[in-house]
Amino acid sequence: MTVAITSWKALGTSVHVLATDSDALGRAVTAVRDVLADVDAAYSRFREDSELSRLNSRAGGAVRVSPLLATAIDAALRAARLTDGAVDPTIGHAIRVAGYDDDFSRIAGPHPALSQRGREMERGPVALRASRVPGWQAIRFDRLSRTVLMPPRVELDLGSTGKALAADLAATAALAAAGAGGVLVSLGGDIATAGQPPAGGWRILVAEDSRAKPDGIGEVICVPAGGVATSSTTVRRWTRGGAVLHHIIDPQTSLPTTGPFRTVTVAAASCLDANIASTAAIVRGEAAIDWLMGCRLPARLVENDGTIHYIGRWPDPAGVAA
Amino acid sequence: MNSLTPTQRDRGLKRLRRLTFGATAGALVAVVGVSYAAAASYPGKSSAGSSSTALNTTTPTTTTTSSGSASSTSSNNLQSTTQAPSTGGSGSGTVTSGGS
Repeated sequence: MTVAITSWKALGTSVHVLATDSDALGRAVTAVRDVLADVDAAYSRFREDSELSRLNSRAGGAVRVSPLLATAIDAALRAARLTDGAVDPTIGHAIRVAGYDDDFSRIAGPHPALSQRGREMERGPVALRASRVPGWQAIRFDRLSRTVLMPPRVELDLGSTGKALAADLAATAALAAAGAGGVLVSLGGDIATAGQPPAGGWRILVAEDSRAKPDGIGEVICVPAGGVATSSTTVRRWTRGGAVLHHIIDPQTSLPTTGPFRTVTVAAASCLDANIASTAAIVRGEAAIDWLMGCRLPARLVENDGTIHYIGRWPDPAGVAA
Repeated sequence: MNSLTPTQRDRGLKRLRRLTFGATAGALVAVVGVSYAAAASYPGKSSAGSSSTALNTTTPTTTTTSSGSASSTSSNNLQSTTQAPSTGGSGSGTVTSGGS
């Protein structure tokens, strides 16, 4: 079976839409574009006019939010609860102070050269201090009225769970638009599927960088359904005052994580759950393996020295070379 | 040893009852007052899914959004796939999962 594919850039990352019915690809792509436009307007941290930016600017008062932002906040709070705070949406201030306060393409230019914005940051002083983030428990969220109340100066960042949720929503919408068959949506390497997969399942190259060419050398797995997500400290890195930083923040310190795993890939029933687990595993560090085994999620963890660990029902690496 | 008349004894018992009642009521008021002050000073934090504040934190439920719905947002566990990933696929359309 030939799978049709279309790719473009959105939300500061790459988007790939695959459909088993080539005639339905156009409708699926339109549906995905609509979802991503809604997501960008609802919870982009880099748009001053996004609903999330307005919410963050009104911390301290009760704010009624749209159904989409409510769903994203609900997903983020669930992630925090299920990971005991390892994935915490109240890292907004911490990640902004660390320097990730704009679309990443404007922070760091094509590797390894830095953009103008990046050079300004490089010269800038390092003012990072270890302190715990405010914590997700401080957020009061009423599901029925879609009302959010955050303490003053708390800033939400839905970047991690938000992108994975967007992939799930986009896949659901794409399948509905396609009408039949199966679809796959990849947002910067966070992958969601819906409907009937191609024979043998959806083929996914597991890499540390989502920009790796899918026909390159590496492990290829096949998933019949659900989602796959990879979190890595090897991408979205920048330099500030001589210190190399990355985008995965440890809520315990408000600083980029420093644990033993640089990349974690997880397969789950949804892209959202896969992303929650992969991000939490990076943050949890040494405790990640036992935690993932307890979650019964297939996972692949890469240590900083390149050692790879396979957890649960992850396929035998001896048979996965592309 | 002084002996009390029945009238004196009754007056003493009444006074003792009044003192006992007053002490009990005072202690009750003190307990309520201290409890209120403690609650106001150290309100604590809500646990997983409940809160007694005006804005209730409710147990997450599936929500239909303008862009669709995500059923997994309602689960109280991270959900694994019924079928695990496998090897051996040879179809077209490979995509990359990696950090971004």
